[in-house]
Amino acid sequence: MTDRLRAARLTRAQFLRSTGVAAALLVAPNLLPSAHAADSVTILETGSSLLYPLFNLWVAGYQKTSPGLRVTTQSTGSGTGIAQAVAGIAQIGASDAYVATPMMRKNPNLLNIPLAISAQNVVYNLPGLNGGHLKLSGPVLAGIYGGKITSWDDPAIAKLNPGVALPKHGIVPLHRTDGSGDTFIFTQYLSFSTPDWMNSVAYGTTVSWPALQGGIGAIGNPGMVQTTQQNPYSISYIGVSFAKQITAAGLGTAMLQNKDGNFLLPTTETVTAAAEGQIDKTPKDQRISLIFAPGPQAYPIINYEYAVVSSRQSSEAMAKAIRGLLDWAVDPAGGSAASYLDAVHFIPLPEKIRAMSRAQIAQIAS
Amino acid sequence: MIGTPAGVTSEGVARPGVGSRRIRSGVGPGPFRLALLGLAAIIPLVIVAVLLFLLIYAWPAIRFNGLGFLFTKTWDLGNLYADPVPKHGVLAPIGAQYGSLVFVAGTLLSSGIALLIAVPVSLGISIFLAEGVGAKFRTPFAIVVEMLAVVPSVVYGLWGVTVLVPLVAHVFAPAIAAVLGFIPFFGASGGGGFGLLAASLVLALMVIPIITITVYDALTRVPREAKEAAYALGTTKFEMVSRTMLPMVRPAIIGAVILGLGRALGETMAVLMVSGGALNYLPHSIMSPISTMASFILSQLDSAEQDPSGLAVQSLAEIAIVLFVITVLVNAVARLLVRSGSNARG
Amino acid sequence: MADLSATRGSMLEAAIGKSVPRSVSWRRARSSIGWCLCIIAFLLVAVPLADIIVLVVVRGFSAFTPQLFTQITQGVSGGLLNAITGTLLLSLGALIIGVPVGVGGGIYLAEFGNGRFGSLVRFLADVLTGVPSIVLGYFSYVTMVIWLGWQFSALAAAITLAIIILPYMAKLTELVMRQIPVPMREAAYALGATESMVVIRVLLPVARPGIVTSILLALAISVGETAPLIYTAGWSNYVWNGRFTHEPVGYLTYVIWSFINQPFASAHALAFAAALLVMLTVLVINLGARAVLRKA
Repeated sequence: MTDRLRAARLTRAQFLRSTGVAAALLVAPNLLPSAHAADSVTILETGSSLLYPLFNLWVAGYQKTSPGLRVTTQSTGSGTGIAQAVAGIAQIGASDAYVATPMMRKNPNLLNIPLAISAQNVVYNLPGLNGGHLKLSGPVLAGIYGGKITSWDDPAIAKLNPGVALPKHGIVPLHRTDGSGDTFIFTQYLSFSTPDWMNSVAYGTTVSWPALQGGIGAIGNPGMVQTTQQNPYSISYIGVSFAKQITAAGLGTAMLQNKDGNFLLPTTETVTAAAEGQIDKTPKDQRISLIFAPGPQAYPIINYEYAVVSSRQSSEAMAKAIRGLLDWAVDPAGGSAASYLDAVHFIPLPEKIRAMSRAQIAQIAS
Repeated sequence: MIGTPAGVTSEGVARPGVGSRRIRSGVGPGPFRLALLGLAAIIPLVIVAVLLFLLIYAWPAIRFNGLGFLFTKTWDLGNLYADPVPKHGVLAPIGAQYGSLVFVAGTLLSSGIALLIAVPVSLGISIFLAEGVGAKFRTPFAIVVEMLAVVPSVVYGLWGVTVLVPLVAHVFAPAIAAVLGFIPFFGASGGGGFGLLAASLVLALMVIPIITITVYDALTRVPREAKEAAYALGTTKFEMVSRTMLPMVRPAIIGAVILGLGRALGETMAVLMVSGGALNYLPHSIMSPISTMASFILSQLDSAEQDPSGLAVQSLAEIAIVLFVITVLVNAVARLLVRSGSNARG
Repeated sequence: MADLSATRGSMLEAAIGKSVPRSVSWRRARSSIGWCLCIIAFLLVAVPLADIIVLVVVRGFSAFTPQLFTQITQGVSGGLLNAITGTLLLSLGALIIGVPVGVGGGIYLAEFGNGRFGSLVRFLADVLTGVPSIVLGYFSYVTMVIWLGWQFSALAAAITLAIIILPYMAKLTELVMRQIPVPMREAAYALGATESMVVIRVLLPVARPGIVTSILLALAISVGETAPLIYTAGWSNYVWNGRFTHEPVGYLTYVIWSFINQPFASAHALAFAAALLVMLTVLVINLGARAVLRKA
């Protein structure tokens, strides 16, 4: 009995103590922020999952030259990146797409700063045919994802691939369940190459996919690789950063028809060629789509990876830190060196675009 | 016959408050009771705050979507790259259309099937742990079940994608189609394993520990006298457990099932990874891809935040309200079941 | 003990069995079938669990290095010091806020909650468990992180987690309290004890094992949650600096959720190491609590 009483007293003491701590916790936030206002700068980068791996390499590299800086990186999705940059919670919102015009009108302080160029693979799993490169076009892909082309031996596919023994088997089209920059650029390719698609489904990080028998949604790029591997006769779109995983999974990569009618694989040359063609068309605010760009050697699905940054930061110290980091990131001797970009199969910005990015970076102030 | 001693005891177990109440009657609640009441009141306060927040936040979407929100299948964010235009008194992206039927159906089906699997399995495990294994093994076995409760949702999802989904596609689906194929909903086809069945199985696995732990805990606390009384009537051990102990812990079982159901309705990550992410169509078989409300909210929040009109995020909040209402309804029904059940027994 | 009661059971069966032999053999068979079903149920769960544990342990252990516990996360490599400390911080914060409220509410429901208010609270607690954590997370994001201007912070995250564990704590505490036989209360009241004395000195000590179990479940839930933290704690590569607001916090489930989606082996290794850590943490707490209970 005495044991029990002692235990009871202990419990009550613990109870009271924890209640006290809870009360203190609720009062605390009003006292704390001012006390720590002079802390060192911490940059929060959040958004695009495509840019995220590169940003991590950048932060590690940049901290060697400026050790005091604290940068936290997050892979949350382009929409979140933009929203949190607007809300002032994140300093750098990473995005696969430039901020849309209506959104810009609401938030005129946002800068869309290209940091590098990315591309996308269209991947398939056709037993026996994964070694070669099947030829596919925007309209054919739109037919597949729109439900008009349902079998691999469809005449539309056969016409692009003469001499290839296409299996008489239903196509399993995979799409991303989560909101994704990959979905954005893939559906943009379908939209720009196929008016029908533009008028029905159009493009976005999430689109209202036509209801397809047997179509599967996968989450994330790794989910796409895995699901493609697990489902013979499936087709999917996967960011170029996952090229190694695609090869390891033994999947086929399609040659895509560009605007000039040529079938190309995403290589440094074809991605560079596509970007080069768009240099002179890129406006000062750098908000331009690179999808389905003209040029005989231009790969059709490439995009700028943007840092969405407000030109009004909370302090000059913060603004300076962001300018330093981004300037270094686009520098060919810094973050845009092959040692960084090759790891994720990105290519550096062309010289002229880099200058434009730097001009925008210079606008970041407090 | 066997139920009689159990009934008497469970009466005492289930309503301990009565005695204390009688004693304090006429004195009025003291400060201690008021303090406890204050703590208990926090739960309703939180609910009211969240619900008010959702209603205010989602109001433009509620006006825009109208009642059709509940009965349409199409979810289309519209054109986010052109200026929004006024429609139904709200600025909306061109072509925007929001319907929640697909997600409501996916949520109810997956949670329902999950419970159908989880409840009997959980009862079996708790009986096995409480009475079937020797005292020496009880603790390690209980730890195993408790470990299941702490496996992070994402890990369930990962395991679901790498192990369960292929298993569903290549083993379960053909088996179900062969045995139950004559029932329309079980004529399985395609889907590659992602879908209703995989989501339900993962949910069941996640709900089982919650139900098991609670029921097991209650079983171990059944008074020894009740067991002895049952044995004295000549029951086998299993009869003692199933006819005496289980009825005694009935309130705990129902409470645990409701807890589990709550978990299943709201589960997000794991379901998202194995459900196949259906959009714009209803499941036509147990193998169909589905989307649940919670997983859809998580997976679409990012895209919705790109909508300058804000309507997409607000419509997601409206889904949350619908889920809220469903949870309230499900709980109300469960409560009615409990009441009618205890009346029948009494 | 199990043997003894089984023997006694069969003796009684034997005694009764003489009058109705067929019924007894049928009852015996039915009992064996029942036990078999229970064992099958256990295996149904044990096999997937074993598989999950093997998956996590094999891949997690191969990623275990000393630097995991001494270094902070560098992008998708380095250690997990920031996430380990962050998870502990957020979970403890959630318990500090959520346990008193949940246990207090649960005691109220069990002892004084037979009226209409009690059933309302009970009902809403069930409703609250069904609110998806992402909705609570987004609620906190808009209210605390943005409106109150706390930014990503330990406080917003701990409060959100506390809200999530609150109904579980209250419900389980109530269940445990209600299983204490009425005579214990009657005896205490008869001795002239006040309500607070009865609850704190008599009932709570008896209910302690059950309450500790429910705290464990709450801890498990808060250690394992991801969705509500993404929008409240954010994520940080750095160890928490002591600020309750305006400072994002790292946590282990973020590593699992986010890093598994990265195209690098180091990211996957960290993700599985984090998953293993989450499970080991709770296992250790579990074993610790059992040891404490056994001593008491």
